[in-house]
Amino acid sequence: MKQKYLFWSLFWLNFPLFAQTKISFLPVFEGKVCWVSVENEREIGESDSIFVEMLRFYVSDFALLHKDSVVWKAANSVHLIDLAKPQSLSFCLEKTENIVFDKLQFNLGIDSLTHVSGAMGGDLDPTKGMYWTWQSGYINLKLEGKNWLCKTRNNEFQFHLGGYQMPNNALQRLSFSVENKQNIEIQVPIADFFNAIDLSKQAQIMSPSREAVLLAKKWAAVISVR
Amino acid sequence: MKKYIISLISFFLLLTSFQKVQEILFVIPPNFPTPAYSFEKNPLTTEKIALGRALFYDPILSRNGTISCASCHSQYTAFTHIDHALSHGIEDKIGTRNAPALMNLAWHTAFMWDGAINHLDMQALAPISHPSEMGETLENVVEKLQATAHYPALFYKAFGDSLITGEHTLKAMAQFMLRLVSANAKYDSVMRREAVFTEQEQKGYLLFQQNCNSCHTEPLFTNLAFENNGLTVDTSLQDFGRMKVTQNPADSLKFKVPTLRNIEFSMPYMHDGRFKRLNEVLKHYEKGIQASKTLSPKLAKPIVLSSNEKVDLTAFLLTLTDRHFLFDKSLGYPK
Repeated sequence: MKQKYLFWSLFWLNFPLFAQTKISFLPVFEGKVCWVSVENEREIGESDSIFVEMLRFYVSDFALLHKDSVVWKAANSVHLIDLAKPQSLSFCLEKTENIVFDKLQFNLGIDSLTHVSGAMGGDLDPTKGMYWTWQSGYINLKLEGKNWLCKTRNNEFQFHLGGYQMPNNALQRLSFSVENKQNIEIQVPIADFFNAIDLSKQAQIMSPSREAVLLAKKWAAVISVR
Repeated sequence: MKKYIISLISFFLLLTSFQKVQEILFVIPPNFPTPAYSFEKNPLTTEKIALGRALFYDPILSRNGTISCASCHSQYTAFTHIDHALSHGIEDKIGTRNAPALMNLAWHTAFMWDGAINHLDMQALAPISHPSEMGETLENVVEKLQATAHYPALFYKAFGDSLITGEHTLKAMAQFMLRLVSANAKYDSVMRREAVFTEQEQKGYLLFQQNCNSCHTEPLFTNLAFENNGLTVDTSLQDFGRMKVTQNPADSLKFKVPTLRNIEFSMPYMHDGRFKRLNEVLKHYEKGIQASKTLSPKLAKPIVLSSNEKVDLTAFLLTLTDRHFLFDKSLGYPK
């Protein structure tokens, strides 16, 4: 009787945990987890070095799929991932029931409907510094820092990628196979992104453009699920 | 007992009807189309409008506390900045455009001369952050408001939360701007059959309908579109308008068609304020239109009017002056 009681107690205690799926973004630089800080200077290649001062990006519209059909969708799910704020890197998908799924989908950026829906709160509050002021639109990704290759003042690079109107809609939809995982770790390999671009030729993007879309695609291409 | 029940019901009916009266904060004028603004996402309340009004008139929005929205948008000039072709902001810095007149914004879907702003809620961000206008950030504004003695209470009254956010600041300001409805000019009285045009105004109205109405479409007196009206490029400004936003060469030199309501008080005219008088504007459409690939097809032919016709047309344009709007105390500096 005691055993039975213990079993059911544990079952119900754990049930809410089973209903949750934890998402964690892991910023990695050449295989090691990193954070944005003064010490965050990492080697790329043999003689190169790069300093990342800021990395913030929006992820939104999380959905779980089974056999390519959506079985669960998060309501108004927008998260601002900020490498300077470790607590922003993980969150839970609050499902109300256990769902069988084999795929995770989400957006890198903010969709066009949200863009034209007026002032928003939480992570979408314009005080978060992720909204253009001279022209309406969320900045999907801000990546700033320094590298000697940059032919700019103080060798700085500044990538503010966004744009919601065609043909320069920078939003990227990602899809990963994740067989019923309760903990999904999404790798953000920063060095891979820098290896995919040429900082000596392109160090600044500050507005919606074709180049911003191309870089957003390159950014999306390096992200993977561990 | 019956009397008691009837009195009680009457009391509740009175109370609910009073509440309904309280809730009517925005009336769609009978001759106007359906507004574009989604009121359900930002329902108007007296408290939010009052907060928005306080913010609109408060220079705390600027970096050094010298410039408020009203600095460039004065009520008595139809919420625009007269005496200056290009508006000046913080530290007397001169901008690149003529401050637009603010009215009937609930019907607009794009703001600024080039439509760079896509929602009224987000409009205030642009002047707050512009280095030549208020030179501030919304983050700092929120911090400064939070530190005042009175704003946390006003936000609490409006939003039920004394913690000030960017979202609430912008939504409150939008609520006040939504209240800037101009629909009580003589023109409107005539349309509602409460007044009649003089013979001269009537002639002017017909000329208006034949020559101007396709862009300055009634009853808003703007088609809300972007048009190239044939102005020569000011080489000191190199402003190509809408193209900067869309990056589409087809939008070169296109600017948002401004309303003609209250035009009597909203000089100077055009996006760069190059014309001080209405007769200069009429002269432009007669002799000054610059041909280009993006020129509005509606201006393929110049608008040639006789002297008398110009006077008639001007007489009609003066019927668009809405003194109720210009002197409505509820829209003025909060006491």
